Amino acid sequence: MQIVYSIFNTILDAGAVVMLPIIITVIGLIFQVKLSKAFRSGLTIGIGFAGINLVINMMKSNLGPAAQAMVENFGIKLDILDVGWGAIAAVTWSSPIIAILIFCILLTNIVMLLLKATDTLDVDIWNYHHMAIVGIMVYYVSKNVAMGIGATVIMAVITFKLSDWTAPLVEDYFGIPGVSLPTVSALSSIIIAAPLNWLLDRIPGINKINFEIKDAKKYLGFFGEPTMMGLILGCGIGALAKYPVSKIMSLGVNMAAVMVLIPKMTSLFMEGLMPISEAAKKFTKEKFKGRKFLIGLDAAVVVGNPDVITTSLIVIPLTILMAAVLPGNRVLPFADLAVVTFRVAMVVALTKGNLFKNIVIGLFCTGAILLAGTATAPVLTQLATSVGLNLGDGMITSFAATSLTLSFLVYEAFITKPFIFVPLLIAVFAGVWMFMSRYNKKRQAAAQVTPAVKGEMI
Amino acid sequence: MKKILVACGNGIATSTVVATKIREKCEDNGVAISVTQCKLLEVESKAEDYDLLVTTGKFTGGDVNIPVVGAISLLTGIDEEETLDEILSYVK
Repeated sequence: MQIVYSIFNTILDAGAVVMLPIIITVIGLIFQVKLSKAFRSGLTIGIGFAGINLVINMMKSNLGPAAQAMVENFGIKLDILDVGWGAIAAVTWSSPIIAILIFCILLTNIVMLLLKATDTLDVDIWNYHHMAIVGIMVYYVSKNVAMGIGATVIMAVITFKLSDWTAPLVEDYFGIPGVSLPTVSALSSIIIAAPLNWLLDRIPGINKINFEIKDAKKYLGFFGEPTMMGLILGCGIGALAKYPVSKIMSLGVNMAAVMVLIPKMTSLFMEGLMPISEAAKKFTKEKFKGRKFLIGLDAAVVVGNPDVITTSLIVIPLTILMAAVLPGNRVLPFADLAVVTFRVAMVVALTKGNLFKNIVIGLFCTGAILLAGTATAPVLTQLATSVGLNLGDGMITSFAATSLTLSFLVYEAFITKPFIFVPLLIAVFAGVWMFMSRYNKKRQAAAQVTPAVKGEMI
Repeated sequence: MKKILVACGNGIATSTVVATKIREKCEDNGVAISVTQCKLLEVESKAEDYDLLVTTGKFTGGDVNIPVVGAISLLTGIDEEETLDEILSYVK
C-alpha cells in the first residue's frame, strides 16, 4: 500500500506535464486504442502542454511589465492578460478530474440520444473542454467532485440542446446540412444574441438599418492575421508603456511570435487527442447504427463565411477600444482576438447577415465576455498555477472558459448559493426548452400547411 | 514534392484533424507531400506557394489559382474515403 501511495505522490509532484500523458493514455486504453498509440497520444499532449507553458511564460514576461507600465502612465487598468483559449484548454485537460468529466459528458450525450432528448451526436472530444472547465472551476472552488460533475452535466445538456436549436441556422445560413455545432465558444453568444435580436427588430427606426461593407478584407484584412495583430498590439502597448523605440519594436515582434506559437502548440494537443476522438466516433457509430442524427462538429467549419469574417474584422478593433473604456473591465484582449470569429458566427446566422445588428450584438457579446473574464480571473489564475503553468505575478484569462456567458452563468449558479440558483437555472432552462419545442412544432406544422396553400393558389 | 495548404476557421483544431488524415493517406500510398495549416483568413496571402488548397469550412470568394477541395467529410466521417481519394489524385 505504501508503495502505491508513494508512486502516486511521485507522479503528482511531477505535475501536469507527467499527469497528462498518463491520464490520456488511460482514457485511450478505455476507448480500446492500442497501448502504443495511446501512449504516443499522451506524450504528444504532454509535449503540447510543455510548449504552451513556454510560450505563455514568454508572453507574461514580455507583456506583463508593459501592461503594468501602461497602468502607471495612463491609468489604463488592463492588467489581466488574455492568454487565449488554447492555454486554458491545456489547463482543463490537466485537471485531476478531467477523465471523469469527459466520460460524464459522453454518457450524457448517449443517454440523451437514447431518450430522443437530443439529435446531436457530439464526439468532438477536443471541444468537451468547454463544458469540462466549468465543472473543474466549480470543483476547484467547492472541493466537491459531485458539484463539479453536476455543473459539467448541466453544461452538456444545455450545449446539446442549443446545438439542436441552432442546427436549422447552420443549414439555412451556412449551407451545411446534417450537422450541428455543439461548440460552446460559438453557442454561448446565442444567449445574448437571441433576445437582443428580437429587441432590435422592435425598435422603430433601428430595425430598418442594414448596410454592407464590400471588400472589408482589403482594408481591414490585417486584423485577421495573427502576425499583424501581435505586432501592432505589441508595439501599441509598448508605446503606451512609454518604452524606448527599440524596446517597442522588440515587444511587437515577440508578441507576433506569441500569436503564432500558441496555436502551433495547441495543434499538438489536438493531434494527440485525435486517436481517442476517432475511437469514440467509431464506438458510437456502431452503437447507433441506422439512427439519423446531427453530427456535432467544431464551429470552426463555419467561421470562414465572408459575413462572419467581415463582422469580425470590425468587431476586433472595436473590442480593443471597448476594453479600454468599459467600466469594470480589466482584461487586456490579446490572444483570443483571433477567435472573435467564433463568438460572432451564430450572431451572423441569426440576423441573416445584417451587418449593423451583427456589430451591435457582437460588441455586447464581447463586452459580456470581458466582464465575465474580469470576474473569474482570480480563480482561473489560481487553477492554472495549481497545474503548473508558470505565471509569476498577475492574472490571466481568455475569451473562453468561464468568460463565455453561458459558462459564466452556470459556474456562478453553482458557487453562489447553489441550493437556490441551480434549481432556478434548471427551471429557466426547462422553460426555454418547452418554448422551443412548441416553437419548432409550430414551424413544422406551418411548413406542411404552406405547400397545400400553394397548391390551391395554382 | 507537392505542397498542400489546409485551412480551417482557426488553423488549429479542425485543420489538424484534416492534415493528419491527409498525411496518413499519402503515406499509405507512397506519395511524399508537405502539409501546412492556416486560418481561412490567411488563405489569400499564402495560397500561391502551394499546389492544393483543402478547406474544412465552406470557402466562398477569394481568388486562388490552385485547385480547392472541400473536406468537411473528413470531420463528419461521411464519404471520407472519396474526399481523400480526390485529394490524392491532385498530388500524385
